Amino acid sequence: MSMVRRSRWLGWSVLGLGFAFLYLPILLLMIYSFNASKLATVWSGFSTRWYGELMNDRQILDALWISLKVAFWTACAATVLGTMAAMVVTRFKRFPGKTLFGALITAPLVMPEVILGFSLMTLLVAMGGIPGFPSRGVGSIWIAHVTLTLSFVTVIVSSRLQELDRSLEEAAMDLGASRLKVFFQITLPIIAPALVAGWLLAFTLSLDDVVIASFVAGPNSTTLPMKVFASVRMGIKPEINALATLMVLAVSAVAVLGWFITARSEKRRQRDMQMALQDNG
Amino acid sequence: MNAIGWKRWLPGTRSGVIAAPYLWLLLFFAVPFVIILMISFARTQVGSPPYTWLLEYVDGAFSLKLHLGNYAALIQDSQYALAYLSSIKIAVIATLFTLLIGYPMAYVISRMSPAARNVAMMLVVLPSWTSFLIRVYAWIGILDRNGLLNQLLLKIGVIDAPLQILYTPTAAYIGIVYCYLPFMVLPLYANLVKLDNRLLEAAYDLGARPWQAFLKITLPLSRGGIIAGCMLVMIPAVGEFVIPEMLGGPDTLMIGRVLWGEFFNNRDWPTASAVAIVMLALLLVPILLFNRVQQRELEGRLT
Amino acid sequence: MPFEAKPEGEVVPVLEPGYLSIRALRKEFDGFVALDDVSLDVRKGEIFALLGGSGSGKSTLLRCLGGFETPTAGTIDLDGQRINALPPYQRPINMMFQSYALFPHMSVEQNIAFGLKQDGLDRDAIRRRVGEMLELVQLQKLARRKPHQLSGGQQQRVALARSLAKGPKLLLLDEPMGALDKKLRSQMQLELVNIIETSGVTCVMVTHDQEEAMTMATRIAVMDAGWIQQVGKPDEIYEQPANRFVAGFIGSVNLFEGVIDEDLPEYVTVRTPLFPAPIYVAHGITCYEGQEVAFALRPEKVMIGKDEPAGDTNKAQGVIEEIAYFGSHSVYHVRLPGGAKVLSNFANSQRWASDGLTWGDTVWVHWRDNDGVVLTA
Repeated sequence: MSMVRRSRWLGWSVLGLGFAFLYLPILLLMIYSFNASKLATVWSGFSTRWYGELMNDRQILDALWISLKVAFWTACAATVLGTMAAMVVTRFKRFPGKTLFGALITAPLVMPEVILGFSLMTLLVAMGGIPGFPSRGVGSIWIAHVTLTLSFVTVIVSSRLQELDRSLEEAAMDLGASRLKVFFQITLPIIAPALVAGWLLAFTLSLDDVVIASFVAGPNSTTLPMKVFASVRMGIKPEINALATLMVLAVSAVAVLGWFITARSEKRRQRDMQMALQDNG
Repeated sequence: MNAIGWKRWLPGTRSGVIAAPYLWLLLFFAVPFVIILMISFARTQVGSPPYTWLLEYVDGAFSLKLHLGNYAALIQDSQYALAYLSSIKIAVIATLFTLLIGYPMAYVISRMSPAARNVAMMLVVLPSWTSFLIRVYAWIGILDRNGLLNQLLLKIGVIDAPLQILYTPTAAYIGIVYCYLPFMVLPLYANLVKLDNRLLEAAYDLGARPWQAFLKITLPLSRGGIIAGCMLVMIPAVGEFVIPEMLGGPDTLMIGRVLWGEFFNNRDWPTASAVAIVMLALLLVPILLFNRVQQRELEGRLT
Repeated sequence: MPFEAKPEGEVVPVLEPGYLSIRALRKEFDGFVALDDVSLDVRKGEIFALLGGSGSGKSTLLRCLGGFETPTAGTIDLDGQRINALPPYQRPINMMFQSYALFPHMSVEQNIAFGLKQDGLDRDAIRRRVGEMLELVQLQKLARRKPHQLSGGQQQRVALARSLAKGPKLLLLDEPMGALDKKLRSQMQLELVNIIETSGVTCVMVTHDQEEAMTMATRIAVMDAGWIQQVGKPDEIYEQPANRFVAGFIGSVNLFEGVIDEDLPEYVTVRTPLFPAPIYVAHGITCYEGQEVAFALRPEKVMIGKDEPAGDTNKAQGVIEEIAYFGSHSVYHVRLPGGAKVLSNFANSQRWASDGLTWGDTVWVHWRDNDGVVLTA
């Protein structure tokens, strides 16, 4: 085999192994969710009984509802704050305290969750006396999750803002639009896909978090991951397999849909550009 | 924007845009660190909050009481030191493995056609959109004594008796590499995809072999991506809780578990705070390093 | 008719300020001086070109006019209104960007209407105006299309229509032909000038392409290192460069460094080591004997032939060293005995003619006594 062919074959096998590593555990989980036996590692026949038990488990469904609510509001708040932060970082020139601001934005990206959760909890307890401040419950989880996910949204939106041709914003100002109008009429529509991506990421991170939620949650606000974690600490629970499969399918459906939509609009775009070239200038 | 820009905002709007995220992060991210710093110097007490205040008003004057016992305990009890070292060791080794697997993947993907690249990256990122918890849980079924891995190995005759992988540090390594792999591939890919192919062509033209070109050109130029990826994996891995708790055993010492235990089991907030502060101190340099690289990235390499 | 070289690149402020009046404009970036106290007047209805290389400050000057850079010092007045402190959206100025900057999420119509909407015009007025603009640039059929569905030339026209829609007092063009290929460029240059003249708007354009500036502009300012070297009509700039920089920057030129030998009211001679005999200039110049000057001679003014020309002055013999063939004309590089090289530009007006001139031939070069310019700067 020639040098090029050999390295290409090597490349494909590396990629193949990598993807196998990533996907095999999930696939196995999904397969065993249909296992009739309670022992999740011994196959004893096809059954959907665990899905049935899942649907009847009141506690899990309640926890799911709380998680979805928190995730939704987290994503909304994180997207708004994160986009503001992205504008500050990419568009605003130096102001006193900008370095600290930059540090505050990047640190949460790598901060260990136990530290985030524990420290935030101490703050909430210390401020518990203040009237109107959310006590340890759904509100506190929301605050914690927004703090966690804000930076991720900023990273995604900043990246898009950098790619944006500055002259578009200058042209809008030149035509009479004030800074605020430029943002809402020009910048925002163009970076909208990045905002959607940021929203989805914040939603996912919130939905998935167990450590931080455990620290800041109150007695009546158990999230789904908290419930799952409590169940599986002791080992396999077949119900959880079913839950996992459903979550994977839901996420995959959204992802495939998103990819399909972007691929189609990209194809249409290419077609439009071809059409333009064929016209006489 | 350029110099003209910001002065022209209505003073309210501009300040508001800066203030909202700034204040949020200051209050909910920075201030908590100050609080746990204070608590780390306090004593435990029964009740709520389960620690004493540092300030005392005695005879008409304030005095600050710093209780160093928590830190002393950390130093005296070797379990803590072991946990810190073990955490760092596990994190570093896991990061290395993640890099060894992730770099080739990122490299191959970055060399594919644009359409194929996007699909491949989506496939890499997709698992991390499904629940982190679920994915760790999946490995329990695989690594168990009666698990699928052992079943496979027994069936093909590689081993005689089932291996004890679950509830050992090895399982924790596998779990960390598995969960953090996308976080290594993403920044590496972002960096490698910007690499100008013509640089390599020029190198080949001048007589370099592919592996030489890789070592002398590709690798050094991808340094930023390597650092970003390693920091993105290593720093949170040091404080990991879920993975060592679910996959590791009693001898998988990690400082994240220690902190959790001090809070949930011992109700000892001052000690937990001290543990957290020391963890932060250890991670300070890597965090600052990451911060510098990331800020430049965020701003698009303006000064 | 007496020709006289202008004094060193200085623009003397006119007693009555122009429609656009720039005074002592200065822009510094962290110690780097991009604009060095520039003063300029542009007349109403003119197409005024800022011509220069990269780093000359032309783009900075344009951006200061548009409001995208704040000058460090100096003033800008437009139609009597001081505008240098106004933000872009308050200036009666519109700009056509080099990249066109068409809003990708809006159609052609919506792009053109954007500025009108900001002014709060009612729907009918906007529709009427947009229609007028579309007719002006001949794009009526493409009103509903999005920018990515248009070719480069079409996008340019939309950008132009958008910047004219509000009837600005000043139109700014940033490298208007920069994004087009060569063939399209010449055609669009004339079209663009037509449209601008039809609308009657005053226009300042920035370009690094001399041909473009000379073709399109009423007057040109040649800039270098943040400073204006010369302002004038295209033919003035070309035939009467103010200094060596302008002479060398526009087109090609033969430059003879030398010294004033005789200085009389009827003629001047320049002695130079690069030419065997003193160069004879048949008119008086403001200078003094012994002054160091440069004699600038455009290649197309240099005649070339095998026979010795009549007359006593401005002729020499040399050897053809190189011939550059450009299809429509050829440039002959003639080496003189003193070692200097003279360029002669000869139109190939006859197929396969060229007088049989070829490499190595000994030829006479000569020019008429008033075809060159003496530069004192």
